[in-house]
Amino acid sequence: MILATLLLVTQVAAQDPRLERLDPDARSAVAAIVDSAHGIGLPVEPLIQRALEGATKGAPSARIVAAVRRLTVDLGTARTALGTNAVPAELEAAVAALRAGATPEVLAHLRDVRRPPLTMALSVLADLVASGVPADSAAAAVLALAPKARDADLVEFRRAVERDIALGAPPAAATSVRVNAGANAVFTQGSDPGNPAPPRPRRP
Amino acid sequence: MFERDDETTVERVIQHLRRPVAIDAGLDARVMQAIAKAPPQRRRVRPLWPLLAAAAVLAAVLIARPWTRSVPKADTLQFVLIAPQAASVALVGDFNDWDPARAPMQTAHGVWATMVRLEPGRYRYAFLVNGVEWRADPSAPAAKDDEFGTPSSVVTVGGRGS
Amino acid sequence: MGIGRVEPSDADLVRRIRAGDTGAYGALVSRYRDRLGRYAVHMIGDREDAEEALQDSFVRAYRSLARCDDPARFGAWLYGILVNRCRTTGARAARRRRMFVQDAQALDGAAHADTADRLEWTDAVDRALARLAPDYREAFLLKHVEDLEYEEMAELTGAGVSALKMRVKRAREQLQKYLREAEHV
Repeated sequence: MILATLLLVTQVAAQDPRLERLDPDARSAVAAIVDSAHGIGLPVEPLIQRALEGATKGAPSARIVAAVRRLTVDLGTARTALGTNAVPAELEAAVAALRAGATPEVLAHLRDVRRPPLTMALSVLADLVASGVPADSAAAAVLALAPKARDADLVEFRRAVERDIALGAPPAAATSVRVNAGANAVFTQGSDPGNPAPPRPRRP
Repeated sequence: MFERDDETTVERVIQHLRRPVAIDAGLDARVMQAIAKAPPQRRRVRPLWPLLAAAAVLAAVLIARPWTRSVPKADTLQFVLIAPQAASVALVGDFNDWDPARAPMQTAHGVWATMVRLEPGRYRYAFLVNGVEWRADPSAPAAKDDEFGTPSSVVTVGGRGS
Repeated sequence: MGIGRVEPSDADLVRRIRAGDTGAYGALVSRYRDRLGRYAVHMIGDREDAEEALQDSFVRAYRSLARCDDPARFGAWLYGILVNRCRTTGARAARRRRMFVQDAQALDGAAHADTADRLEWTDAVDRALARLAPDYREAFLLKHVEDLEYEEMAELTGAGVSALKMRVKRAREQLQKYLREAEHV
């Protein structure tokens, strides 16, 4: 069963019909990258999605191939930092965090202090940086909150920081104030601590 | 802040209450597990084979469906863009192969919306307006690695259900 | 993936289930989960309790599937089971728990641009709804949210049509009153 599965999946990229949306040059290059990524155990879906994004946006083949190649490398780095037990969702979020400026050490530290999945924690780190928070402040904040905060708390933290920044607070200051306030607080949106249910359906 | 006209108030209440409410999709698994334990009452005789068959079907369902014993919880999210002048808006992203045909959005009064169920993960996405214009989601974190030259946003589903 | 599929009808699925394909019930659950969930959440006012009522209703419906006389109307039949089940959770309606429904931002129109305002308003609505007597709330939701005809409501609830019309009317009046009060807090 396992052997049959392995034989099947070596053909994964060649058969993925979605790649037909790419130009022939891009298609064969991307297929090759996807196959070798798969060969070393990296998730291929993010690579395919990146290629399709490029295709939909009409990007030149060379740029698509470069993007897929870069993502493969970064997924590898993420996996080294998080370990082979990391699931694809975590690896993708880890790539975002790395590209935002988090170091592999930060990722490894996060892995040590927080129960998996780390997806949201890594994402929030990357999103904070995207809002203007310096990478080391964002990393410090997420690491401080990581041991105890639920995913929803981290999201709420990120939103609170973004609101403060929008109101004019310096990003690093906004982050540290919120971390200090948040370390002991309950991050539910309501005043009733007995109800942890998050909003559904929610917005990004 | 609240409407002065009472009739309008009630109409707004109704509109608010009519909005879809997404229920935790894990409920499906719980229901299926509960019914696997006790097949429908009309069965008087319980030979082993039908029970095994039902168990096999249930196992197949559990394997095929996203909700499994290993807990990762999908989430249903609403995506919204306010674009009163647009003739069409599509939501495209890592969750639908960036294919504009997959998630055309519905509009009411210039507000475009759609709901998508997402497995845990971090997804880049954007809105494609009138088939040509790329817009990020103003209410979502920006996707910083914007290597194709157009703005994108990010949405993350953590996988722990909260 | 992403390919359009023709969905089997409720009657098809019920037939398959009765023939032994238990897994087919999953499709019915998915199909009705959110729609019935909406009623349960608003009626009960507590998401966890609502999900429990919903789950119980689905299980009960499965177990008594033989008693569903018209498989094509499975949804309505399931609905009746849910309405009844929601009544037994009545005592907990007194407990005010914060309940989150979909963010109404986009569809609320221009009146409430500010998120805080909007959340306050939706909270006031939730509280007002919770204050209604259960039979008023039930009638109001069935009529105005679930769009049932009074005759259908009479079947589901066992009450007469004129009694139901009165309950809906009272519910509207009381909601107006509670929301006016909330405005002046």
